[in-house]
Formats: sequence, C-alpha cells, structure tokens
Amino acid sequence: MSKKNSEFSVVGKRIPKLDAAQKAMGRAEYIQDIKVPGMLYGRILYSKYASAKIIKIDISKAVALPGVHTVLPGEDVPEKMKMGFYKDNPPIKKDKVCSFRDEVAAVAAINPEIAKKALDLIEIEYEEQIGIFDPEKAMEKDAPLVHEHTKSNVLKLPWNIHYGDVDKGEKESAFVVEDRFTTTGVTHCCMGTSGALALFDATENLTVYTNTQIPSLAQKDFLETLKVLGLKNKRVRVIKPIIGGGFGSKLDTYAYEHVAILLAYKCRKPVKIVFDRVEEFKATSTRQPTVTYIKQGCDKNGKLTFRDIRMVLDNGAYTSWGATTPTVMMMPISSLYRVKNVRYDAKCVYTNNTYSQAMRGYGNPQATFAIESNIDMLAEEAGIDPIEFRRINQNVPNETTPQDFKITTCGLAECINEVEKELKSGTAKEKGVGVGMASLIHVGGGARIYKSDGCGAILKMDDYGKVDIFTGGTDMGQGMDNITAQIVAEELGLSAEDINVVHTDTDICPWDVGAHASRSTFVAGNAALGAAKKVKQKIQEFASKFFDVPAKEIQFKDKLVFVPGDQEKSMPIDKLLRKAHFSQNGTMLMADYFYDPDNESFRKDFKCNLSATYTFGVHGVKVKVDEETGKVEVLDYIAAHDVGQAINPLLLEGQVYGGVLMGLGYALTEEVVQKNGENMNANFRDYKLFTAKDAVNIKAPVFETADEAGPFGAKGIGEPGCVPTAPAVANAVYDAVGVRIKDLPITPEKVLAALKEKNG
Amino acid sequence: MRLPRFEYLEPSDLEGVLNLLATQGDDTKILAGGTDLLVRMKKGLLKPKTLISLKALNELSYINEEDGCIKIGARTPIADIIASDLIQKEAFALFEACEKIGAISIQHYRGTIGGNILQDNRCIHYNQSEFHRSGRQPCHKDGGKICYARDEADRCNSTCQSDGATALMALGASITLAKKGTERVVEIANFYTTDGIMPFAMESSELLTEIVISIQGGKSSYKRLAYRSAIDYPIVCAGVFLSASDTKKDEIEDARIVVGAMGRSPLFLVQESFSLKGKNLNDTEVFKKVADSSMNSASTFAVHNVGSTLEYRCVMVSEMVLQALKGAAQAVVAAKG
Amino acid sequence: MTTNISFILNGVELSYEIKDHWTLSHLLREEMGLIGTKEGCGNGECGACTVIVDKLAVNSCLYLAIEVEGKTVETIEGLSSTEGSLHPIQQSFVDNGGIQCGFCSPGMIMSSKALLDENPDADREEIKHALAGNICRCTGYIQIFESVEAVKGMGGQNE
Repeated sequence: MSKKNSEFSVVGKRIPKLDAAQKAMGRAEYIQDIKVPGMLYGRILYSKYASAKIIKIDISKAVALPGVHTVLPGEDVPEKMKMGFYKDNPPIKKDKVCSFRDEVAAVAAINPEIAKKALDLIEIEYEEQIGIFDPEKAMEKDAPLVHEHTKSNVLKLPWNIHYGDVDKGEKESAFVVEDRFTTTGVTHCCMGTSGALALFDATENLTVYTNTQIPSLAQKDFLETLKVLGLKNKRVRVIKPIIGGGFGSKLDTYAYEHVAILLAYKCRKPVKIVFDRVEEFKATSTRQPTVTYIKQGCDKNGKLTFRDIRMVLDNGAYTSWGATTPTVMMMPISSLYRVKNVRYDAKCVYTNNTYSQAMRGYGNPQATFAIESNIDMLAEEAGIDPIEFRRINQNVPNETTPQDFKITTCGLAECINEVEKELKSGTAKEKGVGVGMASLIHVGGGARIYKSDGCGAILKMDDYGKVDIFTGGTDMGQGMDNITAQIVAEELGLSAEDINVVHTDTDICPWDVGAHASRSTFVAGNAALGAAKKVKQKIQEFASKFFDVPAKEIQFKDKLVFVPGDQEKSMPIDKLLRKAHFSQNGTMLMADYFYDPDNESFRKDFKCNLSATYTFGVHGVKVKVDEETGKVEVLDYIAAHDVGQAINPLLLEGQVYGGVLMGLGYALTEEVVQKNGENMNANFRDYKLFTAKDAVNIKAPVFETADEAGPFGAKGIGEPGCVPTAPAVANAVYDAVGVRIKDLPITPEKVLAALKEKNG
Repeated sequence: MRLPRFEYLEPSDLEGVLNLLATQGDDTKILAGGTDLLVRMKKGLLKPKTLISLKALNELSYINEEDGCIKIGARTPIADIIASDLIQKEAFALFEACEKIGAISIQHYRGTIGGNILQDNRCIHYNQSEFHRSGRQPCHKDGGKICYARDEADRCNSTCQSDGATALMALGASITLAKKGTERVVEIANFYTTDGIMPFAMESSELLTEIVISIQGGKSSYKRLAYRSAIDYPIVCAGVFLSASDTKKDEIEDARIVVGAMGRSPLFLVQESFSLKGKNLNDTEVFKKVADSSMNSASTFAVHNVGSTLEYRCVMVSEMVLQALKGAAQAVVAAKG
Repeated sequence: MTTNISFILNGVELSYEIKDHWTLSHLLREEMGLIGTKEGCGNGECGACTVIVDKLAVNSCLYLAIEVEGKTVETIEGLSSTEGSLHPIQQSFVDNGGIQCGFCSPGMIMSSKALLDENPDADREEIKHALAGNICRCTGYIQIFESVEAVKGMGGQNE
C-alpha cells in the first residue's frame, strides 16, 4: 500500500484549490449572493430576556405594514416542531423564552428594510423570570430550572467512563497533581454569515439553499418539518452554495432554516433569511464552556498511573450536538499518552446562556487544555523535563488503549522529537521568554457518532477523458474538492483538472453524514477512491480485450492506458473511452461506491474503536511575556503532525496554519462575553480575532506514517491545528514567567494578576 | 447593513458648509471620512436628517509649518499625517497615535484627524445594536436616565478612546472652530464637557477646521494598550510631552502628561505634569513616582465600560505613562546629542 | 432622495441613478449585481468589502455611493482581463493557498492590489500593515502573505 511520495503523480502535490480561481475573481456565489425571482426577505425577532414568560404577542401592526407578506408568531408553529439533538428547541418559542437567542416571531417581506420595520412593530409582553448563567450554580439543588418540565438542569446524558482502577492508581503514585481549569465560549466567526433560502415548487416539494455542513442530515430534518406541516411523501432538495466558512457551526439545522421553510410555505413564495453580523454573533452557537477538575499521577519514573477528570459543560438553553462533545473528550482523556486507569465524568447543564455547539475539535481542545496543562505540572512535580515526561508516556503504534481504540500508525514520537529540536534551538533563555508544548490525539479516520459514518460517491467518465464525481462530502473551504479530485486523478492516471467534483446538491450527490470530525479526507477520500477503483477495473476489463492482455497488467498514467513494456499497447484514455462508448452494445464508464469506515459505535461503557485511525501531533510555542503589562506575544510556533500521507501539502498547511491561529485566539484573545446571558461583544471590534498584524510564524512539519486504512495512507487533519494550542501557550507562559493560567483566555490582566500574586 | 435615509448635501466650499450649519438644526451631522459616523448611524445610535459632506473641501486637507506652528486641516486623512516628515519630527506622539488607529484600509485613507478628535465616546453598554438597546431602559447617552456602567450615576460615563485627541492634548494643541462669520480657537484641553452624552464643548453650528500645534522644541511620545495590533481601540493610553531647559540640558523645563481611554475625555494631569519641572530627564525613579501618581489621578474617572477589567486598566495607566515618559525623555536626550 | 452620479467603474465610465443613503457596497452588490464585493460585517471591522477608490483601498460598506461621483472605482470584477485571465495577484492567491472559504478573498486581493500598485516591493511587515483591516478566519494569514510576496516573482504587471 504505502507508496513513496516520489511515486505519486497527483497525490502529495501542491495543487491549488480547485475553486480558488472563481473565488479570486469574485464569481463564487454564497448564500448572501443568491436571489431567485419573487424572493421575499425573512427576518427573525429574538427575545429581550434571558428567561421570561411570554404573556401576550400582538402582530397586528406588523401584519398591516405594506410590503409584509406574513408574520409568524410561535403559536402558528406546529407544536411538534423541535430542533436539535435532544429535540428540545422549537424554531419559534410560544410561551416561554430561555435565552436571549430565543426566536419569538418571524416575518417575510418584500425587502430587508420592511422586514426589519415589521419586527419593530411586533408587540410582546413578557414576564421576566430569574435566569441562571453559571453551570455549576445551575447544578445546585434549588437553582431555577431552565426548563420547568425537567427535574434538574443537568441533562440526562450518560457521559462517564471508568477503566482500570483509578483509586488504586492514585495510591500507587509517587506524584499526584490536581487542579481546576476553565474554558470560555468562543465562536466560529465564519466570514460569510449564516443563511438559508427556502422555496416550494408547484407540487410542494421543497428546495433549501443553505450553507450547511450536513446536507444529508439537513435533508432529513427538513423532511421532518414537512411532515409536521402535513406534507407527506414530499421531496426535499438541499443545495449548498459556496460556504463562507464552517468550523462546525453548521453541523445542525437551525431556526433560521426551519423558519425560512415555514415562511416560504405560508406565503408560497421563496423566502431567504441571511444573518447580519450582530445576529451571527448572537444567534449562533459557541464552543462549550467547561469547568474541569483534573487529577493525574505518575510513578517515580514519570510513568502515568491514573487520570481522573470531572467536568461540567455549559449546555446553554437548548441541546444541539454540542452536548455530545464529551464523547470526543473521552478520546484524549482515555488515550492521549499511555495511562491504564482512567475515570471521566461529565455533566452537561442547562443554563440561560446561548446554546453551545460543535466547533473545530469538538470538545478535544477543552479536554486537552486541562490534560496538557496538568501534565506539565505533574512533570515539574516529578522533577522531569516536560518533553522527556511526554516521551516516557507517549503512544506507540499497534496498541489498544483502555477505551479500546486501536491505534495503528502513530507518529507521536517523531513529532515530539521534531518539536524538541525546534524548542531547544536558538539562544540562551531571555527574561520573559519561554517555551511550551502540548500533544494531541484526534480521530483521523472518521468517528462513528451517528448510525452511519459513511459517504457515497458516484463517478462517471465522459468521451473526453474527463471525470465527474458526485460526492456526499462537503467543501467549506477546507479542500474536500481537491482531495477527492487528486485521489481520483491518481488512481486513474489523470490530472486534477480532469476531475469535476460535484458536492452541492442532494438531488445528485449520495448520502454523507457531514463534514465533521476531520473526516472528509479519510471518508470522502475513500469513497472517491472506491468509485475510482471500480471504474478503473471496468476500463481494465475493456482494455484487456482490446490489448489482449490480462486486465491486471493494464496501468494508467499521464492520461494513457497502457501495458508497461509494450509501446504498441498504449492508448490515450479518452480514445479508449470513446471506443467503449461508440461500439456495438457500447458502454460508458460509471461507478458508485459507498464507503463506511471500519470504526465502531460506543458500547454502553463507551468503549469502542471510534475511528479507523488516529491522528497525532505535537505543538511547540515560544512566547514572550511582558511582565509590566502581562501581554503574551507569540514569537514562534511549530505544529508537527502525523498525517498518514499529505494528499495536498499546500492545503494541509493551510488547515494547520488556520487551526493554529484559531487555537491561539482561543488561548489568548477570544471570548464571547455574556452578561446575564446577553452577548456583549457581538462585533469584530470587541470580539478579538487575530488580525494580519497579529499573525504568527508557524512551521507545520508533517510525518507520513502511511496508514493502511486511509486513502493513499492519509489521515484527517482538519481540526488538530486548534486542539493543543491553548495548553502549549499556557505551558510556555509558565516557562517564561512562572505563572500558570488555568482559565482561558490567557488575557494580559490574568497574567499580570498572577504575576502580582506570585511576586507578593 | 443598510443606512437609514437622510438628506445629503455637498457644499463646494467652507463658506457653504458654515452657511448650512447656521441654518440647520441639531439633527445635521458633518460627514468627513464617515468611519465613525456611518457606523453609529447603522447601529441606530444617530439618526440625522441631513449629512453635510466635506467631500469638496480640499481646502481643509493640509499639513503646514507656519509661524512656529504645525497647522493641520481638520479633513486631513490619517494616512497623510503618518506620512508627514514634519509630524514625525515635531509631533512624534501624534504620528505614533495615528499609526495605531484602526487599520490602514479602514481608517487611514478615509478617516480624518478631525473625525478622530470628534469620534464619539464609547461604552460597551451603549455601542450595541438597536435591538439590544431596545430590550432595556435607555441609558443617559441614549436619551434616558440610567447608567449601566456605574450605579446611580447622574450622567453619562462613556469613554473617550480617541488616540489622536490624547496625543494632541499632550502636544498642547489648539483647535479652530468656525461658524458663520466667526471663528474661535480653543485649547484641546479645554474642549471637553464633563458629560459623555455630548463630550465636546462645541455648538452644532460650528465646524472643526484646523488643528494647531506650536513647535516648542520638546519631544513627545504616545503609548497605548490594546488587545491586538489593529482594528482596536485603546483600553488605556498616554501621551507625554517633555522639553529640556536651554541652560541645563538634563533638566525638564516643561512637561505635559495626558491619559486617554480612562474618562469622558483625555485627562490632562496638571499636578503630575507640573511636578516634573526641574527634574532630571534620566531619573527613572521620578518617572515611576509620577506614573503611579498619574494612575491614582486618572483612576477616579474611569468606569468599567470599554472591555478589560477596570482594575487592570487603572494599573496600566501607570505603565503607559511610564513608557511614554521614557520615550519622550529618550527623544529629548537624543536630540540634545 | 435620488441623485445621478457619474464615475469610472472598472475602467468604464458610467452614470447611475442612486439613492443618497446607499453605501457603495449596496450599490455594487444589490443594485449592480457585482457580488464579488462581499459584506462581512457592514461596520468597517472586517474588510471583506474592500474596493479601491482613486487608488486607495477603502471599505465600501462605509463609503456613501454618492461620494464616488467623479472618482475611479475598482472592484474585484475589474481585475481579471476581459479574456478571463487572472490578474497576477489573483493568480498568486490561487497558487499559494491564499484562498480557502474565499469570503475574505476579494477584499484581501483588493487591499493587496492597492499596496502593490503603490509599493511593488512591499516586505512582510508592510504587507501585514496593509492587510490589517482584512480579517480571515481560515488561513491564519500565512499563505495570504506568501501570496502577496510571490506576486513579485510572477513577472506580471500589476496593472
């Protein structure tokens, strides 16, 4: 299986992103750009309270406003319509609001100004109630309930594991450290805001244009909505425009999509809802804020003896897929480094904050922040160099972890060495300058968090040697299109430009569970490879008769189909395809393939082999801390990953660079400031993304362990860039000035306060 | 995001602008670069009926040296100030301040120095969307009687985060306010009210036309703290001007310390400034004492309303003042040779 | 209020009837269908709407359409040649991974063009400075800087 990079023609090449030219020319159409004839503009009215009863709603003035087609209060939404993982979230609320993000009415009008004006005319009488915003306080016995029908704010989700014997492990430890770490809500900040356009055709079949990461699951959700509306046996078509960034934000269906459908159905006209930036901040989700209590121990040689973690997650007012992130947190908790005795207990707690959701890393960054900060503390306690400490405990290939993860390839050791080299290079230690590191494990071969982890692909070849491949995979800028094209091109001896990747339309693309879990390269890649192999075989069979040689001797390269060593037996592939097509009983070459990786769903004890392979990495960072202001400056960054095989190093580096900078924002500057549940920094000025001037030098070396399960050996790399970033920075800050910041983000005021406390 | 409707007027010269200002009421606003005004209009913080554009008034865009003064037209783009050798040489604090405003593509080309001085005060409770504000009682600046930043405050505590104004106050600059048939010159230090609702002591019929900095043979420095390197307002900043005695070259003759982003206006710290007279330019210990004293003086004005914690901002006053003092002192020493 | 304005858009002189309160980004996107100019925030905080007016990169969301009277406006649509070939800066963004989701790209490219037209040899610091008003969430900026730097080596004229 494992080929050397020099043996590939297309794989491993820095081929520019296939849709980059149209994006560079300004021709790419995002949801913001799409207009259809007769389209109305929808807009949603949100709650003015974090927690309140809705006493009365009067829409009469809004209805009377010229240009308004319809006004939709909560009472007009069918009772059964509920969204989210827990189905606890109606798209428009009727009796009660539980967060500022709660939708209370919607309108459709002929232009955005009238829609906005109509919202202003809707009169709602509320009765404010006491809200609860701190998840730990929300767990207390007499805390106000976010949802009255529940007995407790703690969600009934069984997120706990216990492998080995933690108590025994602790007793046998020479060194034990414990602490509390917290992370805050950060948000995706996709440059293109969210939006959807819904339209019904004459026979009440529905088309939804939406920038979703889960076209197939969205289709399923929208079918549910139709069913509730009494529209049975209807079809739903989901079309994805070009997506202006995903990062996990579009892993569920949301109120704006369902409301657009409801409005479109009510007016029998196309309705588009697109968020403005404030709305994007206030009405989309955050990463789960967490409180983590961690205890780890090691023996006198530095070998980890146990890991004990208790975690509280701020679920917010409703339950989306974010509530399942503890399943991914289990991965580093059970399997980052070799540790036999592991206990983890997580509680997701309702609060009146905005509800949290998936975001790049899916829980892994929060868990890794606590683990890897605490590992440095343990190493210090044990008197062992933190790099050496990690080496002592590093994961190795071909080993099964306590959670039953079957680690096949593992380049963690190589990554540690590489980062060590980088961190130990350079001059003697300067005042205020320090280095830190942190490692990661992440799913690199899909993750079976749904009934199927599959992806379908349909491939057809035309008379000109070109390929159209219809894939279930989703591109949102990360490069699924290239990966698919390069894999198919490699297999069929074509160039990437010969491959047209169609991934935008559920009418023509097969099923896929969604663009999450760093799975597109691995799963969509394998699906494409499977289809390409089938077509290849068919071509070989045809050529076999033509060249009169056994099929397996026929090879593909440089757009030629040939028998090696026989110059007579060679033909351009397009010519061969035409021969196949335009002959008696002609045939055209097509194939379909559905790939579902060989990974497993969680059993009751949460053991399983979650992913078909695992990605490893180590990040190292050098920081300078200004001891007068507390400001942390990142001087250099290295992010080394075991990626199996880089299908496209150019795009891979882009994923790592972007992930790292997102991780640095998480570490240092980003935070959704919520004051009693209300977002106070809903703009790019007050929500501090790194600007170009704050950008950091990042090195992104890769190690290619050529995983047998991956397409041409590849593993996923979409998320790892932002997984161990924050603990690496926290460890570097400690190394620089001797203070450990345990609460993200590591702001200047926290560093300065810690320095003051340390210096007395 | 769309703007509310308004009437747009574009007078061809200064006289035309002043004539219009004389006849229009309070709901008329001057449009220069628009980088502050149009944002406020989009957020519904302002709903002017009329905008008077300075587009045609190239006569207000200049940087000249005249009679021992630097004269800057109020409509001069920030970019021109950064590029000016004269400003870099004689008003370095202003150069440093302008460099840090917004980002090049946003503020430097469109934004003007006049607009920077007149940028409205900010407060995290006030600078919110219309919908956000509609969910609660209006604050002082929004036409109500409440302050969300300080309990029971009888007035608006919004914060002036203008980089340019802080530097200019340290440089002892004056501004010219023209109105039909007359004009007056005001020291920037005297230009502010004590209420964040309308922080500037100017009439609606007046136009800021010119900034004048007298060249006093000293050196200046401006330091600011912000979370990131662009698209950010300072959470605290300081401007310092120092000049040395002609006879004893290490002795401070004149000093001006101004702290910004801590109050309703930049704060000219008279006592601390005065206390530096006669002190040695290289005396870091004195600078530290003065910086700490500046912190104590400035802290009384600040409220928790522009991000970060109030405590941190207060502590950082001292650091910013110290850095600016050192910066200016070094420049003076270097200039003396 | 409606006003007739004349200006040069991507090399073409034209006059257009506009409403006084329209921003330039509204005129371009909603009225003229030039969707290449993106609007990411509408408040001058992200730079997605950057266009070039009289050689300067500006945020079209904070520029009144009425104020382009008599001026020269360049948008992303005006960069590629009429035959469809990419401008060297566009090509460099394509080749060097400067584009992922692409939403910031038109603004990023316009800011880069304004910089390189003025200063073809811009170094990394100057590039960072020129792009500081353009936020990108995908790339971590590194490949964007490399894209701008690589234009020099492409032998293409910026015009």
